[in-house]
Amino acid sequence: MTVQVAGRALSLRPRVAWRAFRDEVVGMPRALKAWLAFLLLLCLIGAVAALLALPPGWEVFGTSPSFEWGILITAYVFFAITTSGLCLASSLGTVFGIEMFLPLEKRHAVLALLCLITAFGIIALDLHYPVRMVLGAVLSPSPFSPMWWMGVFYGVYLVFLMIEVWSIFFSHWNIHRAACLLSSITAVLAPTTLGAVFAVLGARPYWHGAFTPPAMVTMALLSGTALLGIVFYLVHHLQLVGYERARTLAIPAIRLLLTIVLTVASLVVAWQMLFGLYGIIPGLADATKAVLVGPLALQFWVVRVGLGLAVPLTLLVLPRTRTPRGLFAACCLVFVGIAADRAIFVSAGQIVPGTAVSGVVSSPYAEYGPTLVEIGVVLGAFGFLGLAYTLAERYLPMGEHMGHLRAAEADVAVPVGAADRPPAMTPIPEVSPTPVASPTPGQSPAQAPIGAPAVAPLVDEPGGAL
Amino acid sequence: MSETDVTAGRTPDGTPTGISRRRLLACGLAAVPAVVGAQLLLGSGPDDDAGAVRAAEPASPGEAYDPSAHEWAFVIDTTTCIGCGRCVEACKLENHVPDVPTFNRTWVELHVVAQDGTVTIESPDGGRYGFPAGDAPATASEPVRDAYFVPRTCMQCENPPCTWVCPVSATYRTEDGVVLVDERRCIGCGYCIVACPYGARYMVPAGETSPKGVSGVVDKCTFCYHRITRGMQPACAEVCPVGARIFGDLTNATSAVSVALGEKRVRAMKPALGTKPRVYYAGLEGEVQ
Repeated sequence: MTVQVAGRALSLRPRVAWRAFRDEVVGMPRALKAWLAFLLLLCLIGAVAALLALPPGWEVFGTSPSFEWGILITAYVFFAITTSGLCLASSLGTVFGIEMFLPLEKRHAVLALLCLITAFGIIALDLHYPVRMVLGAVLSPSPFSPMWWMGVFYGVYLVFLMIEVWSIFFSHWNIHRAACLLSSITAVLAPTTLGAVFAVLGARPYWHGAFTPPAMVTMALLSGTALLGIVFYLVHHLQLVGYERARTLAIPAIRLLLTIVLTVASLVVAWQMLFGLYGIIPGLADATKAVLVGPLALQFWVVRVGLGLAVPLTLLVLPRTRTPRGLFAACCLVFVGIAADRAIFVSAGQIVPGTAVSGVVSSPYAEYGPTLVEIGVVLGAFGFLGLAYTLAERYLPMGEHMGHLRAAEADVAVPVGAADRPPAMTPIPEVSPTPVASPTPGQSPAQAPIGAPAVAPLVDEPGGAL
Repeated sequence: MSETDVTAGRTPDGTPTGISRRRLLACGLAAVPAVVGAQLLLGSGPDDDAGAVRAAEPASPGEAYDPSAHEWAFVIDTTTCIGCGRCVEACKLENHVPDVPTFNRTWVELHVVAQDGTVTIESPDGGRYGFPAGDAPATASEPVRDAYFVPRTCMQCENPPCTWVCPVSATYRTEDGVVLVDERRCIGCGYCIVACPYGARYMVPAGETSPKGVSGVVDKCTFCYHRITRGMQPACAEVCPVGARIFGDLTNATSAVSVALGEKRVRAMKPALGTKPRVYYAGLEGEVQ
């Protein structure tokens, strides 16, 4: 008795399945085994933390009435904007037909789906009654609440992403194009409403205002682009499926997009701080000072500005670091910077107490420190995302299929005045469907037996300018 | 100088006295026996029905309650509050508020204003046990220009941000002007807590339950809705020994709260936010937000 999983025949008989699993693990490269073990450890930590965080375990959080939203809300925001950013970055190819962004599609869709699932998992652990939330959102909706709209848009986004992933792996190109368009639209709406969740709060001057939703979208695009940069560098470096296209198209496309968005994000951060200092709104200047010279200053100047903006921009600007490795370093730093940015954002909105905290002199700042359980949940979230994507990369046919590339090509508008010339698009080279270590030449990973390694062995950095 | 003058840091005509911190603290200590005495005189705790003798005007026990016939409001007179904390204690007992200092439906703050305008705020244990001398604000600079107690609670806003942001409509405003939480619907997201400009909400902590026995939901002041709908006063107003908390019905022109609003110069907290609080403060300084 067998079942088909990702094109592979898996036996349901325990002994055979165990043997196949053992052979699969034994056949893995050592580095992959170590990576998976590390991710499994993170998942284990996260699972233990999640069990402790589940009701009635809410005493394990470090939040308080004066600092109600802690690191789990930060992590939720981070993953929620990242999933949107992934879709926005790839929509340049899938929706707007810009050729150089086409190779981002398949991996972005899988990553976006996994990021969204991760975000939902975190918020479910932060909420005390997640099931009640789903029922309440349907049975007693509150259309005036930005949080309700955020739930609606992210819920719809999940559905569109699932359709997008399904259609791309099962070659339903018309459905796929529609799903790409719809998911891209919701990928804009969702982070703006997430921004609105904070922006409508007049009680929190640091969050309040029309500036917050577009800033949230900017950070979303930056975060998604950085994650794509990390993944495509690894595809290129490890020579995974489609690495040629990663090198020739995806990496230059990500570099261009990252440079633009990083510049815009730097201006957003700068103006946010300047506006805050100029403000006469009670609490706004205090919160901004907390970021610039207060308890959040180290995080802001070192991680957010230094590592998250200045160093990546320098890496992108300097000719010597305009390499795939330089881009990878920039993307990693940007990713860390965005995480710090969201943590600063969530903290700064609450750090100036609206009233005296009972038992504590209200001046100057409200205090919060994450507990080990909260940190464990966040570590587990990263572990889950990394593990799920690694398994997807290894066992799903991640190479861009000619069908959807050509389907997307058909949407590319011919430039004005080019009608008389030969076709504007250069033929897309055939994607290498076969990993280096495939057992039989020409055999796709989907056809390979379960024990065969689908990932090429680690190779040296190819290097070279982009 | 009378006790009220010293505690509030003002002369009867409202002129700042330039009170020293030592005198202020001495006064705080003097308030403790006054509180104990008042408790003995009243003779019963707030959870004792026999103590609920001061009826709210519009409804009386046994009558069918018509929410459309009432508009509840509060006037808090900071010039008479002595910071005894009896209201905090009464609220804790009446409404099963967690026995933890940082969780309060109502609390009392001591505001000390220095000559240079620096305001120091303190609320040890939410002011539940008063303000003993040893707990004086250590950061208060000399000389003190003014000092006063500010009882805090939910403002029962006419335009409450908490009800607008709740994603499942679990918090709502009643017809008679009280903002309540439906504990069966609350999902524990905390959005209303961060949305409240007055810090009047809290999440029921572990090991504790709301008055209806639910864990992990938001709780807040309800004006003691279970009492006022039966013709009684809120517990905090009931036990206040100096009448600093005046509760009543705005639809009744002769109610205590209507009279107080007509006689006293009152202001609401954070009026710029447009929340239109139903809790008004008499004698509130501009520094208080």
